[in-house]
Amino acid sequence: MKCYIDRVTTEHDVVTDIKLLIPDAGLRRRMSRVIKSAVTTAVECVGGIENIGSYDAIITATGWGCLTDSERFLRNIIVDKEQLLNPTPFIQSTFNTVGGQIALLNHNHCYNVTYVNRSHSFEDALLDAMMRIADGESENILVGAFDEQTPSQHRIMERMGIFRNINDGEGAVFAQIRAHRSAESIAQVTAIDFPAHSLSKQECLEKFATSENVVLMYNTYTLHGLYPTVSARCFAEATRLIQNGTKEVIVYNEYFGATPTVLRIQCVG
Amino acid sequence: MGIVVTGVGMISALGVGVDCNLVSIRKGLSGISATPKILKTGNKLPVGELQMTNDELHKLLTIQPQEHLSRTALLGIWAVREALKNANVDYSKRIGLVSSTSVGGMDLTEHFFEKFIEDDKAGRLRDVRMHDCAASTDAIARHCGINGYRTTISTACSSAANAVITGAKLLKHNIVDYVVVGGSDALSAFTVNGFKSLMILDEKHCRPFDESRAGLNLGEGAGYLVLQREEDAPLYYCHLSGYANRNDAHHQTASSAEGNGAYLAMADALKMAGMSPENVDYINAHGTGTGNNDASESAAFIRLFGNNIPPFSSTKAFTGHTLAAAGGIEAVLSVMAIKTGCLYPNLNFNTPISAYGLTPVCKYTDCTRVDSVLTNSFGFGGNCSSLLFTR
Amino acid sequence: MEQLIQELKEHLIEELNLEEITPEDIDAEAPLFGDGLGLDSIDALEIILILEKYYGVKLANSAEAKPVFQSVKTLAEYIMKNRG
Repeated sequence: MKCYIDRVTTEHDVVTDIKLLIPDAGLRRRMSRVIKSAVTTAVECVGGIENIGSYDAIITATGWGCLTDSERFLRNIIVDKEQLLNPTPFIQSTFNTVGGQIALLNHNHCYNVTYVNRSHSFEDALLDAMMRIADGESENILVGAFDEQTPSQHRIMERMGIFRNINDGEGAVFAQIRAHRSAESIAQVTAIDFPAHSLSKQECLEKFATSENVVLMYNTYTLHGLYPTVSARCFAEATRLIQNGTKEVIVYNEYFGATPTVLRIQCVG
Repeated sequence: MGIVVTGVGMISALGVGVDCNLVSIRKGLSGISATPKILKTGNKLPVGELQMTNDELHKLLTIQPQEHLSRTALLGIWAVREALKNANVDYSKRIGLVSSTSVGGMDLTEHFFEKFIEDDKAGRLRDVRMHDCAASTDAIARHCGINGYRTTISTACSSAANAVITGAKLLKHNIVDYVVVGGSDALSAFTVNGFKSLMILDEKHCRPFDESRAGLNLGEGAGYLVLQREEDAPLYYCHLSGYANRNDAHHQTASSAEGNGAYLAMADALKMAGMSPENVDYINAHGTGTGNNDASESAAFIRLFGNNIPPFSSTKAFTGHTLAAAGGIEAVLSVMAIKTGCLYPNLNFNTPISAYGLTPVCKYTDCTRVDSVLTNSFGFGGNCSSLLFTR
Repeated sequence: MEQLIQELKEHLIEELNLEEITPEDIDAEAPLFGDGLGLDSIDALEIILILEKYYGVKLANSAEAKPVFQSVKTLAEYIMKNRG
C-alpha cells in the first residue's frame, strides 16, 4: 500500500481570512477554537471551499475531540442542575464535528469518518485512506488531525504527573492524499506499520529504511509537546524534510502508553 | 474476497447475551423503563437501561472492582467476549478490534467533574482516566485477548456501522485474521441532557415511523460481530457483502428532507454487492422515533425502492437508541434475522406518517426465509452508513 | 415594548453569538429564519431558552412556536402576553 501527498498544512500555515475559509456565518459562530482551527486548516489545505467537492473521502483524527464544548456542556449540566441547557456545546462536542462541518461547507456527500484512538488516531486515519486507495474506492482524500489544550485538561494531566518531563500542546494538520502521482505531489507514504512492541533506532532502520540517505525521526513529538495527535505534526515535518531534499524519512512515535507507529515517507522523484 | 460473520455478541436493556435479547424481542418485551434507575439524573424520562450497576458488571465479568472500568468498557467487554467465544477464535492468529463509542468514559467523568469544578485539586483521578474513547477500546482489548491491530471510531450514532466497514478493510488487506467490530455506549447524564436540550426525547415510549412519534428514548448497550475472510472460515452466519458511508451534508444535526445521505449509503451498499433493491428481504431501519429522522429515512426508502419497499422495522422501541452501539446491536440483530429466519416488529406503531404512508413490520414473524438484510445507522454531522448482510 | 425589543435583540446577539451584528442591524419585523437573520433549528432551541430564562415564558410545542418565531417583534408580543 502506498499513497502520494500533495500538500500538508498546519494551523500555522493558515493565512487566509477565516471569513473566506468559512463563509457561512451560521456555522462559524457556533464553532469553538479547536473547530475553527481544524476547519480553517482543512480549507486552507485544499485551497478554498470550492475545492472540497473534489475529495472522495474526508478522514479526520482526534484523541480528545472538542474538549471545550464537552466541558462546557458538562459544566452547564452541573451548575444549572440539568435545567435550561443550551444544546450547542452538546452538538459541537461530537467527535466527528470537524469532518461533518468540512462536508457541510461544500455539500460533499463522500465517505466521512473520524478515528479517536489516542496516539494512533492520525495513523489510523492514514491507514484507512491508504486502504481505500488500494481498494480503488478513492482517488483524492483529505486526511487531518486535531486536538486542543484546555485549562481543565492541563490541570488533570498535571495532577496525573504527565508533564514532569514534557509540556502539553495542541494543533491541527491536514493533508491532501492522492492515489496517483500529480504535478503537485511532494512526497509519498510507502510504509505504515503498527508494531506490537517498541523498536530501537537500529531496529527502525533495519526494518524500514530502503537506502543510506534516510533521516530517522525517532520520537520527535517531544519537540511539539504532548497531545494525542502530535504525530501528525511529525508527519508534516517529515514532508517538509522531503521537500527540502531529503530522500527518505522514517517517522517513529511511541507515546501515551500505546504501542508505536511507524511511517516511511519518501520523495517522489 | 468475501467477508463473513462468524460470531455475534450483544448486551442491552433487553438483557445479557444475544439469546436473551432475541427471546425478549420474540416475546414483544421492550427494555424501555419509565425512568432511569441506575443512572444519576434528575430527568425522569424513559430509557433503555441495563438493570445492573457497574459493580455488578465487574462481578459478572470477573474483573476486580479496583480496576474501576467505565460502563462503556464493561458493556463492551461482555459483548466482545461473547462474540469471540461464539466464533470459536484461534488465539494464535492475529485478532483485531475496531470499537466505537460516543460517550467513552463519560459516566465516570461526570462524577469527577462535579468535584473538580468546585476545586481543581478535588475529584478522583481514577474517575477521569477512562474519559477518552480509546480507553474503552484498550480495556476491551486487554480483557478479551485482542492481540492485533486495534482502533476506535466515533461518528456519533453511525459509529459502530463504520467500525464494521473499517474491520472489513483490515481483513481484505490481511492486517488481521479475525476482527471484532462494533460499538458500546453507556447511558450518561451528558447524553440524556444533550438530547433533552435538543428537544428530541419522547416523554413516553418512543414510536418509530408512527405519525404521532415525538422523539427517541436513549438506551445503552454493546453489540459486536467477529468478521473473517471467507476462505478462513468453514462455518459462518452470513456474508457482509456491501457497505457504504455517505454524508448528508445538510445540517449539523438535522437530516435532509430528501434523505440524501441515507439514500446514497443504501444505494452504494447495494451497488458494492452488485445487488438490486428488489432483492432486499428486510431493512433494519435507523428509525429513532424523531420527527426528522423517520421522515427523512422514509423519503430515502421511497427514492430507492419505489413502490416495492421491503419489510422494514426499527428495533429501537425495544433497546432504546444506544448511540454509537446502535450500529453494532442492529448488525447483530440483522445477522440473526438471516440465521433464524425472522423479522422483528416495530413496537408502538399505529398510524403511518401521512406524507409517506409506510407501514413497518408490526408482528414478530418467524419461519420466513431472510436472505438479505440492509441495516441503517445515521448520526450527527450528516454521517450515514448502511451495511448489507446476505446469506 | 420598544425597550423589550431592544433587550431581546441584545439577548439574541449574545446567546446566539451573532458576529458583527449590532441591535440596530436587526429589523424587528424581518424574518428570523431563512433569509432574514438566517437562523436555523438549533437557534430556535436557543431562543426557546432565552424566553424561558429571561422572561419565564414557556414555549413547548413547535406548532405554537411557528407564528411566535416570525420576527423579534412577534417574540416580544408573545412575551408581553404571556409574562407572569
